[in-house]
Amino acid sequence: MSVMGSSPAAQVRSPSAPQRRDTLIARRFPVVLVVGLVLVTVLAVLHVGVGPVYLSPRQVVLALVGHPEVAYQRTIVVDLRLPRTLVALAAGAMLALAGAILQSIMRNPLAEPEMTGSVSGAILFTVLWVGFGESGFVRSVWYMPIIGLAGGVAAGLVVYALTWRGQSQPGRLILTGLLVSAILRSGASIVLLVHQAAIGSVVLWLIGSLNGRVWSDWSILWPWALVTIVLGLMSARWANVLQLGDASAAGLGLPVERARAGLLFLAVALAAGAVSIVGGIAFLGLVAPHLARRITGADARRVFPLSVVIGAGLLVGADILAQVALPGVQLPVGAVVAVLGAPFFLYLLRRRLR
Amino acid sequence: MRQAFERRQKADTQPATGSVLESAAVSAGYGSRLVLEQLSLSIKRGSITALVGPNGSGKSTVLKALARMLHPRHGAVYLDGRDIARLPTREVARRLAILPQSPSAPEELTVAELVEQGRYPHVGALRLFDDADRAAIARALDETGMTEFRERALDSLSGGERQRAWIALALAQETPILLLDEPTTYLDIGHQFEVLDLIRRLNVEQEMTIVLVLHDLNQAARFSRRMVVFEAGAIIADGTPTAVLTPDMLARVFHVLAHVAPHPEDGSPVCLPYGLATDGAQARSASVNSATP
Repeated sequence: MSVMGSSPAAQVRSPSAPQRRDTLIARRFPVVLVVGLVLVTVLAVLHVGVGPVYLSPRQVVLALVGHPEVAYQRTIVVDLRLPRTLVALAAGAMLALAGAILQSIMRNPLAEPEMTGSVSGAILFTVLWVGFGESGFVRSVWYMPIIGLAGGVAAGLVVYALTWRGQSQPGRLILTGLLVSAILRSGASIVLLVHQAAIGSVVLWLIGSLNGRVWSDWSILWPWALVTIVLGLMSARWANVLQLGDASAAGLGLPVERARAGLLFLAVALAAGAVSIVGGIAFLGLVAPHLARRITGADARRVFPLSVVIGAGLLVGADILAQVALPGVQLPVGAVVAVLGAPFFLYLLRRRLR
Repeated sequence: MRQAFERRQKADTQPATGSVLESAAVSAGYGSRLVLEQLSLSIKRGSITALVGPNGSGKSTVLKALARMLHPRHGAVYLDGRDIARLPTREVARRLAILPQSPSAPEELTVAELVEQGRYPHVGALRLFDDADRAAIARALDETGMTEFRERALDSLSGGERQRAWIALALAQETPILLLDEPTTYLDIGHQFEVLDLIRRLNVEQEMTIVLVLHDLNQAARFSRRMVVFEAGAIIADGTPTAVLTPDMLARVFHVLAHVAPHPEDGSPVCLPYGLATDGAQARSASVNSATP
């Protein structure tokens, strides 16, 4: 058979290194995952340590296990900083998993949560709520995450409904999602212009921020995160079959439309849940799954869990930078992610196109 | 040799008693356009059937209908005597595998990861692989000669190797029936032969029932034992390659003037086109002329 191995297609497509680095790592996937989890844990401990009062990792750990060096450190760690760290971990994981799911079901490595409309939907609903909240409704901030979640899910459903024509087509889904997102974003801008008083309270959230995240945020986020992340990880085999294209997937006995709609809804739920707490953090859902695939190949059973780990680590790491980059100023973490994520993504694109 | 070829053909073209897959008066198409009208085709257990015809003649459409990927507007497809539309799709996938035309997968996917997907009909979304699954995957890789490539990424393979990997995916499904839509498209002649040889081996050694859409008439005649010719959504010739592949059929359906001669190797008919037939009358006169050059 090697005698015949010189077809034009073979010559064009044969890369220089047949034994790919990816697959070597693939075999050691458990090790990769454990290393990733350890790194994330280290970042999380560092993250709890940064803030107006710096605490060393040792002090953080002692305070966490209930034997603080000084009593007030336990208050700082547990009451003030731990919720922020946990929210960062969960939101990062959710955005990354949403991106990983979308990239596999759209069969497009450039897909990201924004393309489902869920991010801008969450933003528009939240802005509307805050806008009307200013004019005398219930305490709006408390309900913000739930409103955001509802908006994100609603927008995701609208995008899917607009795309549906007997069957959904991944390409059209992406275009429709981007258009709906643009419309929702301009809607949000208009609302903010009309209710200028509301801008102040949501501007940080619009960029994506972890500043001042408290236990109530975590208590809203964690049940949602738990359910959606577990379901997302369980759906990896569906995603794997869908990655082979609609025809092959149908031939393998997958109900293609139901599977894609289910996975799309999961991605929307993941993204909307994260956005409703931490705001419109861009690029994380694009970059984290990309990194995961580069490390471990294309099998969703590995890409999904690794994306979760990488996403959690990236957001926590970026939030450390956001707090220490400029002395005395807390940058919104969304700005840090965008500043680091965009050039990195350009770099990935250039490598890909080369 | 030649008699052996004829004898092999016979079994596949006799009236369908042991039909495993059957389309009964199927009308099907895309959107508002009907491609097939009242099409009936019955596939015998253990047979190897080639569907041929000009572009847009409905041969791929009937394959999709047989694989329940296209739902008939009228009529029904029966798999082992049961309406395929009423069977759970995963159960169908345990009995019938289809290799679509020019399939594609994420480029970083390895051969083993691709072939593992073939177990989906058996394991579903959550059940873990057991020994039977692993054995099926190993066997599929072995039969297609892909074992040594199992860790390779798909985009590092040649066209023929990649096609064999996709066939391995279908084999991992462990189905008695295999449908293939133009499995040799975009392959050079060596790789085409390699793929067709593998398909024939599966038919002979494992008695897999095989239906394949082929563009190349000579390959269809050589590798199948029954040829079905489609034109404008209807079957216009159906029988052994020798009976079907005639100058008359070629002029009528493909609008080419051709000689048909037995293959020196095994006696299968080979067509040698030499000109265009603009209509039937011309074709006939041209073929008369050509008989005495």
